[in-house]
Amino acid sequence: MGTVRGCDIPEDLSYNVENNVWARREDDGTVTIGMTAYAAALAGQIVSYTPKKVGKSVKKDKSCATVESGKWVGPAKSPVAGEVVAINDAVSANPGLINEDPYGEGWLVKIQPSDWDADSAGLVSGADAISAFEAKMEADGFDGCS
Amino acid sequence: MQTKQTWRVIDTGLRRAAENMALNKTLLEGHQQGITPHTLRFLQFKPSALLGFHQSAEQELRIDYCAEQGIDIQRRITGGGAIYFDETQIGWELYLDKQTLGTADMSKIARRICEAAARGISTLGVDARYRPRNDIEVDGRKISGTGGAFDGDSILYQGTLLVDFDVERMLRVLRIPAEKLSDKAIASARERVANLKDLLGAVPDMVRVKQSISQAFAEEFGVVFEAGELNEQEQALYGESLAEIDTPEWVYQHNRPANETAVLENIVKSEGGLMRVAVSVDQARQRIKQIWITGDFFVNPRRMVADLEAALKDTPIAEMAENVHRFFDHYPVEMLLLRREDFITAITGALDGEREAAGTA
Repeated sequence: MGTVRGCDIPEDLSYNVENNVWARREDDGTVTIGMTAYAAALAGQIVSYTPKKVGKSVKKDKSCATVESGKWVGPAKSPVAGEVVAINDAVSANPGLINEDPYGEGWLVKIQPSDWDADSAGLVSGADAISAFEAKMEADGFDGCS
Repeated sequence: MQTKQTWRVIDTGLRRAAENMALNKTLLEGHQQGITPHTLRFLQFKPSALLGFHQSAEQELRIDYCAEQGIDIQRRITGGGAIYFDETQIGWELYLDKQTLGTADMSKIARRICEAAARGISTLGVDARYRPRNDIEVDGRKISGTGGAFDGDSILYQGTLLVDFDVERMLRVLRIPAEKLSDKAIASARERVANLKDLLGAVPDMVRVKQSISQAFAEEFGVVFEAGELNEQEQALYGESLAEIDTPEWVYQHNRPANETAVLENIVKSEGGLMRVAVSVDQARQRIKQIWITGDFFVNPRRMVADLEAALKDTPIAEMAENVHRFFDHYPVEMLLLRREDFITAITGALDGEREAAGTA
């Protein structure tokens, strides 16, 4: 698994680095979306999660879920356009899962993408993702995931 | 000498909560789109009960009381808990970006802004300090609560400042157990909040209050503020935002049943004295939302109790004892026959005891 300044950045996922989110195409064609370990570290302990409702459409780079930590509220922006097909009840019950397991149990939404090929072309993975996150952390003045 | 950047300061005056919330949305979105410059805004509210973004009106507020009293109910776009806001408070808020702040770490941003605000408040003649994570206090008593929202690189961070304040009215607006409305409980709540009028002996000049805060932010960020107005693009966005926010759909969007949160109480007698705790619990998330501790035990400084309450906000139930220990490990306090374990015992007893639904007392 790749790491950048102590933050896990799995090399097999696709990232929108600017929005600090990941996407994974599943075998059934849906796309699972979540926050990166880096995004979770910047936010701190997450205490609330409100996803868009199942059946709602989401535009690329627009909010697919709203999260709250330390009295900060902000959107997680979907890296692909499509329709929300699943939300994460385990995260509703325990939003801290986003911090504990951002690439596993802490996923945010699953989306049926409207044009995966076009939208995913703008995402990065592997070594490109690692170097892009290093550059972002430098620009953000980030010390590292603890 | 390097020329300082000029940031905009706007004072939007006394408004309805819906208008103030719509302006929050407008200016944060506007900042993200590049049509809103870095801005400091001062604002005031007609009597309003303001929910945190993720809260439910049914769980947090006495909706009937608000309706009777003509108190508007609104939802913030920022996080945190429900508050009562009226003409006796000033709101301040900053619209900036992470680049200007030099960090994307949300807790560092909150600290920097709160410490600057505390310095500004202190110039009025009180000793205001930042208390992590989101309060500004004077001698352990909260005088300003804060919270934020972000969108991309843009951030909104806002706070209240209690100039004069009706504690009893706040307690009646918020959905807390009825027994908390006894004279003694009101006096105890009054001990936990401070306002400028009480501290200074008179209501300070509002213009001076705002100047003190803007001066402190100007120094912190090395900028000068110039008074301005909303620009045309912001005005257009504001119309759209108000149409979305001034609706029941916005205000009541996160409805959850009132019985999903409970206030659990316990009274414990130890060598150190009588301790009464009330714990507000989010049962779905197994998390302590808030805790109130009162009693006739002796601690010095007295503010330790308020600091412990602040430290235990949003604590997972499973981590309560650990958090109490962590608090006392770093907090110099003198206690008479009272041990830190007494706090843990009292809170544990409340959590394990008979559960009483909020607001039914």
